[in-house]
Amino acid sequence: MNKFFITLRTQIKLSFRGMDMIIFAICMPVVMVVLLGIIYGVKPAYDGATYSFLEQSFGAISTIAICAGGVMGLPLVISDYRQKKILKRFQVTPSSPTLLLAAQVAIYMIYSIIALVLVYLVSALFFGVNLQGSLLPFLGSFLLVMLSMFSIGMLVGGLSPNMKTASILASVLYFPMLIFSGATLPYEVMPTSLQKIADVLPLTQGIKLLKATSLGLPVENVLFPLIIMVIIAIICGGISIRFFKWE
Amino acid sequence: MQSIIQVSGLRKSYGNLHIIDGIDLSVLKGEVFGLLGANGAGKSTTIECILGTRKADEGNISILGMSPQKERKKLFEQVGVQFQETSYPDKIRVDELCQETGCLYKNPANYKELLRQFGLAEKEKSFVSELSGGQKQRLFIILALIPNPQVVFLDELTTGLDTKARRSVWKSLKELKEKGLTIFLTSHFMDEVEELCDRIGIIKDGQFIFCGTVSEAIVESPYEKLEEAYLWFTGEEVADNE
Repeated sequence: MNKFFITLRTQIKLSFRGMDMIIFAICMPVVMVVLLGIIYGVKPAYDGATYSFLEQSFGAISTIAICAGGVMGLPLVISDYRQKKILKRFQVTPSSPTLLLAAQVAIYMIYSIIALVLVYLVSALFFGVNLQGSLLPFLGSFLLVMLSMFSIGMLVGGLSPNMKTASILASVLYFPMLIFSGATLPYEVMPTSLQKIADVLPLTQGIKLLKATSLGLPVENVLFPLIIMVIIAIICGGISIRFFKWE
Repeated sequence: MQSIIQVSGLRKSYGNLHIIDGIDLSVLKGEVFGLLGANGAGKSTTIECILGTRKADEGNISILGMSPQKERKKLFEQVGVQFQETSYPDKIRVDELCQETGCLYKNPANYKELLRQFGLAEKEKSFVSELSGGQKQRLFIILALIPNPQVVFLDELTTGLDTKARRSVWKSLKELKEKGLTIFLTSHFMDEVEELCDRIGIIKDGQFIFCGTVSEAIVESPYEKLEEAYLWFTGEEVADNE
């Protein structure tokens, strides 16, 4: 797997030089957790809640990087590489363009995991967050949400005819999800009507799943979002594998 | 002599449009073959079909005795390709692009050696985007040579280069040819073709209207220079006089 790691190393360097993901996937969630920490402190989520508002928001904030990488980073880099014929160049080598795609997926996974760790450290060290849920179901959900969001990004990047379309679609998906799915603006402070609209966004469901698993809420809360995440991953992933445009 | 590239009965059409209408060619070991023709004559499609990035409707293609589509991975260990629209990510450095290319092959050439050979050693840490046109072009030839190939495909080799840069590219290619490398190239410059090519094929409307050596092309035409002979073959000389 040597060629994978060399490719990954180069692509990571390029991504760091680009700076966008450092800002949108690493800094932004940390800033968000600090802001919510300052605003809400250790206040309970609601009167009589066993967990604080910030603990409730933890699952949501941890998806900011997934959203940035999956829905913005991935489609842009794929359509960029296609437009520059980089994917095509890989077709006349003993390797294949999937190597490059795999490296890109790995990079955005790395960003998401770094963001998750940082958000956890900041919220635990500075704002006393102590999550009641168990680790494995949470990490499993985190992986599933990642898979699901990345498959949306693959679909957009893989099928957009050019960079311009990809970037419009990415913006249309990214900004509403970032703002209205609860990743930044907490779902709980939204009026009920807005919540109903937010529920349509796939990331909202992903966040519900992460909230439930991070807080250790009963299993019946997670079934619907769990199914939605799996369906999105299968449909978007399937379509993008079947119809991916290499050039 | 061993035939390195063998194409017979190549056809490709999009709908009713016959882009390539029966092309046969064979390139021997150590030969430099030039594919000529106006834009839109079918050059790029021909190369893409030979390389297998486009599927031919009909015809047999083999490079080094292998099918570019069925034995892609094995074949491209030994084939270097330089594309016309050269493709590299933004913000990549010369050495990174070389490493990234090299890691795809089992026995890659030492890229530092190649950079030295093509006069780019001091540019190793530069961003590719900051290289001059000539330096970029030389870098892309280096990338095509990184596999240690037996045959290279060079598409529009020196387009956009100044005279000095073109001469230095020619010189390097001649050296490689002397070492036995087989070269398949396309070009719009007849001086380049005369300088480098052992044989040429002129393509028009998806067919060869001439295939042979440069001197044969001149003899067959009423002119004394390749450029005029080329225009005569392609029927573009009249347009020039208007």
